[in-house]
Amino acid sequence: MPEPRLIDGRDMEPPEPLELAVAELATLAPGEELVMLLHCEPLPLYAILDRGGYRYRSELRADGTNEIHIQKA
Amino acid sequence: MQPTLSFEQAPPISVPYRFFLTAPLFGAVAGLILAWLGPAALESRWSPGALAMTHLIVVDFMLQAMCGSLLQFVAVVAGANIWRPRLVAAVVHPLITAGAIFLATAFLLERQVLFLLAALAFALALGLFLTVMAIALLRTPARGMSIYVLRLAVLGLLLTVVLGVTLAATLGLHDSLQSVWSLLALINVHVAWGLGGWALMLVIGVSFLVVPMFQLTPAYPVWLTRLVPAGLFLLLCLWSLQLLPGAGAAQAWQTGVMLAGMLLAGLYAVATLWLQSRRRRRQADVTFAFWRGAMLALLALSASWLVFEVLPQLGSHARAPLWLGVLALPGVFLSVIMGMLYKIMPFLNWLHLQRLGGIALPPPNMKQMIPERAMRAQMRLHFAALVLLLAAVLMPALALPAGLVFSASCLWLEWNLIGAARLYTRFRDRIRAAVAAAAQTPTQP
Repeated sequence: MPEPRLIDGRDMEPPEPLELAVAELATLAPGEELVMLLHCEPLPLYAILDRGGYRYRSELRADGTNEIHIQKA
Repeated sequence: MQPTLSFEQAPPISVPYRFFLTAPLFGAVAGLILAWLGPAALESRWSPGALAMTHLIVVDFMLQAMCGSLLQFVAVVAGANIWRPRLVAAVVHPLITAGAIFLATAFLLERQVLFLLAALAFALALGLFLTVMAIALLRTPARGMSIYVLRLAVLGLLLTVVLGVTLAATLGLHDSLQSVWSLLALINVHVAWGLGGWALMLVIGVSFLVVPMFQLTPAYPVWLTRLVPAGLFLLLCLWSLQLLPGAGAAQAWQTGVMLAGMLLAGLYAVATLWLQSRRRRRQADVTFAFWRGAMLALLALSASWLVFEVLPQLGSHARAPLWLGVLALPGVFLSVIMGMLYKIMPFLNWLHLQRLGGIALPPPNMKQMIPERAMRAQMRLHFAALVLLLAAVLMPALALPAGLVFSASCLWLEWNLIGAARLYTRFRDRIRAAVAAAAQTPTQP
């Protein structure tokens, strides 16, 4: 199982995390995971993932960070 | 967690862009009027030139940009469905443009029929815009302080328009309505709702969301998000009591209401500057700098008003209201609008292109949509124009350079925005061509 790719977007100015995520998605191999850390619920990203055929789940950490796990469907 | 943005309800990109690309042009016209009329335009707030320039800026620059932004913002922040956005934009945009041209020309040429045409155009355009916006904002399931403040702002616009149309009709019908209300009281209340209840309320509502989200600052304190909009709205209602029969303008209690309003505006400016000083990222972009300039101008506006009250020999000068007007219009509102346009247009370009191209055909980087150097240089010219305009209030002989520099700054903004719109169409056509070529490939032998 490869190490998940990580984008810590908590101190990035929107939509930089979104731009980085889209760039990573283009090269995400089947079974590989992309993890994003954000301070918000990224609705535009969810729409992109739904359209592009990716599955994702988000977990809210105790510090308010939203941790999103993304894989190819 | 911060509030979120959803772009699934976003209207077509042409809806906000037609407003954004028109707005700066009328700022440029206002600057040219100042350069053309020279010191005569700065004699007092009642000079035909000052009234024409003011309405070109507040209606054709500010209102255009704010209507375009609101059509976009309400859809993405409130997730609200705007009724037929293309049709609304196609009706509202040309009517606002025509109305402001009629109004500015009416002031310059003192032609009554033009006041009536302006009143008709604004009543139709803003009647439709306000109806659509009110339905969207009342029906949205979204909650939160920004939505609540946006509703107050839309109510503020409604009252501004009703009072403004009444004023234009009064001037157009040869003052026959003056016996009902004092003209000065009507103007006082119209200006207060327009600048405080609509423009400032909208800036406040938008800032509660965008300052923490885009400038990576802590959130506004909850008590402040409750106090400032509600307090401002209450003070505007009290200010409007001068319209009651027998009340009239220029009464002692009105100074108290205005003092409270200026303190509230100053508190909001200080809070925003304080949040900006605590941002999580050291690097500051051009939008951040525009907001900081706007908040410093708002603080200077509140302080200037206090000085004018303490020193009546200064405050009663015919050009004192012009000083406050320059700080409010180019200083506060145009600075925020320019900063936001530089954020909104690259963002919309990116999102719409991403939707078209998907993962396979990614859009260009958002930072490439408008060159950072061009935005920064235009911002410096805008703040130089602001300083020159303030200097021209003190020394009206500077009206010519102040008008020309302000005009140049607006034209440069227009050029930068056109660049972003052209980049959008270039990439959109490229994506469409790539999609069409890919669709044809399997059928070829």
